[in-house]
Amino acid sequence: MHGNDSGDMLLMDRVRGREQRAMTEIFDRYSGLVYSVALRVLKDSGHAEDVMQEIFFQLWRNPDSFSPSRGSLAAWLLVIARNRAIDHLRQRRFSEPVDEVVVASATNLQDEAERGIMMQRVQGILGELPEEQQRSLRLAFFEGLSHSEIAEKTGQPLGTVKTRIRSALTLLRKRLEA
Amino acid sequence: MTDAPHIPQEDLALYALETLSHEESAALRVHLSQCEVCQAELATLRGDLAMVALSVDQHPLPAGARDRFALRIAEDVRPGQPVVKRAEPVPIDRRRSRFGAAAWPGWLAAAVLLIVAGGLGYEVSVLRARLDDRDSRIAALEANESRVKQVAEVLTAPNAQRVLLTAAKTPPAPTGRVVYLASRGELILQANNLAAVPAGKTYELWVIPADGSAPIPAGLFRPDAAGNGSVVLPSIPQGVQAKAFGVTMEDAAGSKTPTAPILLAGAVPASGL
Repeated sequence: MHGNDSGDMLLMDRVRGREQRAMTEIFDRYSGLVYSVALRVLKDSGHAEDVMQEIFFQLWRNPDSFSPSRGSLAAWLLVIARNRAIDHLRQRRFSEPVDEVVVASATNLQDEAERGIMMQRVQGILGELPEEQQRSLRLAFFEGLSHSEIAEKTGQPLGTVKTRIRSALTLLRKRLEA
Repeated sequence: MTDAPHIPQEDLALYALETLSHEESAALRVHLSQCEVCQAELATLRGDLAMVALSVDQHPLPAGARDRFALRIAEDVRPGQPVVKRAEPVPIDRRRSRFGAAAWPGWLAAAVLLIVAGGLGYEVSVLRARLDDRDSRIAALEANESRVKQVAEVLTAPNAQRVLLTAAKTPPAPTGRVVYLASRGELILQANNLAAVPAGKTYELWVIPADGSAPIPAGLFRPDAAGNGSVVLPSIPQGVQAKAFGVTMEDAAGSKTPTAPILLAGAVPASGL
């Protein structure tokens, strides 16, 4: 957990105490992030709001589904938002239970200004990846396509698709750490 | 930790993306449940995915989204009841001006207070019952989690003794595998191909101490229809170095000393592992 995430943890403690104001503070901090990810995947504001509302409501109903041992709240919400949006998009019901999702992130996403800087940095890094890597990652991440579906769509061998996705994530990590 | 090779990074990335089939995911999940290295790598990959998610352009929420959420959680606090808005505070002097000379009789005020107090008392008792219920559920979950963790620790401890128990010349041979952590007095037996036990009888596992003292009973078990049986974390003393393990058949209530013959036996290797 990043040191600056302690504010989120205090808020989550209050949410566990059924304090509505704390929950709305969490909502105010991160609903935009969650909604934007869902909207990017679903391309429909109504469905994106449904996904966003459900994620925060489930966090309210079951605050212990998140714990500091599972990473920073913002990173965790980002991953859950993408997974739930893909569930919605693909009409599937088998994404991993949220309380089993562990996200290791050293990035402080709690501060809005720092988040904005990081957002631009990530966009820059992703934009510099080889086009084939960008495309494979985009299809897997934002459309939830399996590697075999991507291979079929792009005409590339399965192994190549898998390598491109992994390479894209590795490059992103290395450049963020640099 | 596990002896199996680690999950290739490519596959772990697809698992993190949740784009594998049920079958592929299930196979990886088995490995992940036992491998801290792959668990850590998966968490790191999810951290990378969080960064990808962060790259999307930000959009304002639809109008009224925040109010809809606030209303939903407010309703959730008191399900089935309309949300009660907090009353505006009334200045004391203003209240006086409204009720001043025409104040209600004292008995009426007392009755109202009594009703309110009764209602509050009921609400407190309901809340207390809910808290008690939640506490007991948390305690049960914690106990369960603790036991699962204990089992995982025994199975994965590098200094656990692993002994294969076999019976010769009886194909298919009954076998038993013991994982034993002497320092903590924790033991797990998994046995297979066991013959069914007659009514009124049971199998009993024994720890044979290295210092030559009497065998220590380490749990009763009966195999299922497939001949599989297990003993998980029986109550045995800590710190007993074992020379061997054995399984006998005893009366259903168990025995304090093993009854011959020993049906399954296995000696601890000299290395202790």
